[in-house]
Amino acid sequence: MEHARHVFRAALVVLVLLAGVGITRGFLVPPTYGLHGPYRWANVAEQMSARTPAHRGPAACGTCHEDELRRRAAGAHRAVSCEICHGPLLAHVAADGRVTAPQVDRSPALCARCHRKVLGRPAAFPQVVLEEHVDGPLDAGACLACHDPHAPTP
Amino acid sequence: MDDRTPCPAPTGGPSTPRVLGRRAFLEDVLLLSGGAVVFLAGATAAAPAAAAEGAASAPPAAEGYQPWEHRWAYLVDPERCIGCGSCVRACSAENHVPDGFFRTWVERYVTGMDGTSVDSPNGGKDGFPALQVAFVATKSFFVPKMCNHCRETPCIQVCPVGASYRTPDGVVLVDGERCIGCAYCVQACPFGSRFLSPETHTAEKCTWCYHRITRGLRPACVEVCPTGARAFGDLRREGDPVRHAIEHDRVAVLQPHLRTEPQCFYLHLDGEVR
Ligand code: SF4
Ligand code: SF4
Repeated sequence: MEHARHVFRAALVVLVLLAGVGITRGFLVPPTYGLHGPYRWANVAEQMSARTPAHRGPAACGTCHEDELRRRAAGAHRAVSCEICHGPLLAHVAADGRVTAPQVDRSPALCARCHRKVLGRPAAFPQVVLEEHVDGPLDAGACLACHDPHAPTP
Repeated sequence: MDDRTPCPAPTGGPSTPRVLGRRAFLEDVLLLSGGAVVFLAGATAAAPAAAAEGAASAPPAAEGYQPWEHRWAYLVDPERCIGCGSCVRACSAENHVPDGFFRTWVERYVTGMDGTSVDSPNGGKDGFPALQVAFVATKSFFVPKMCNHCRETPCIQVCPVGASYRTPDGVVLVDGERCIGCAYCVQACPFGSRFLSPETHTAEKCTWCYHRITRGLRPACVEVCPTGARAFGDLRREGDPVRHAIEHDRVAVLQPHLRTEPQCFYLHLDGEVR
């Protein structure tokens, strides 16, 4: 009888330990962990909805600015997304429909990012040495005085 | 929508009502000494946690997106890149990348018989300035870079908590909630693609805009690139132009000797590029 009690006690300790380990493990390991590999599967869905896409492409801009879109499509900047110069659409039209002024950068620095002659650019790409190309100060609007950014001609 | 947080961690909206963070719990556990106390904490904390976990498997925002039906791949044509940096700016705006860190960046290679120069001022975000090199430059070009979404990733292998993983559609992601910020993966990546965010203190990197591609959009960098230097495609789709290029054109990957099996392919890559 005495021995049986000892065995029972030992078994109880083991059982409590196992239960403890089980409960702790159940808390530490999220339910979707290991479903498709050693990671938390629920995170895949979380990553899908992590944020609202900010860039929507020229077609989306065209729903309101149809003329600009058409002008752009006919010119040398037909492959240049509106959002390169004006920023992501979501910053202009928020998810709730609120409209704020988009960025309009008239400085030659904006044009220079693509068209300034620097080492590295493919030779066939249209580029200029700004200081030689522009007669006068490189103020805002210096490029736009001659070139229409939406449908530029050389 | 929760646009401020750069990762879908604790404040992730109604879908993740996590009561007690895993990190917070671990900290608690470290404070308490003795196994019995741990068990008690585990037992009392288990009930609310279990209730919260159930809601965590919320339906995906991209309704009907099946990861098993896609295998994404990226194609870069360095010969087309003009180094405008539009991609870097778009990425930073799309993903709220902290200043001074980059999920994608552009490098400029200038080489000659007597030397090579590589520069990437501010990741190429503001474009590239004129450059003078001390040797006779015979060729120069730009190379856009980002996480290669390797198939055999050192970064996933070293993660001690299973926070880094690869999805069935071939995208390497970081679970911001599991990540403990040890930065092992940052060191393990041979391409320098990862960084520890100063805001979340977790590892971050290019996700190929997972929130976009699962909605049928292209990654932001591909969306804005004016020259088509960047392309994104699905290897599981018949007639996909990127798949066709990878199958039929001369493509290379970065650092192939490391055998990480990158899924960013480069057309006509120069041997100088590391
Ligand atoms: S490029 Fe680096 S971070 Fe990306 S999958 Fe490969 S090893 Fe990991
Ligand atoms: S947007 Fe395209 S052309 Fe401009 S730097 Fe990026 S990859 Fe190169």
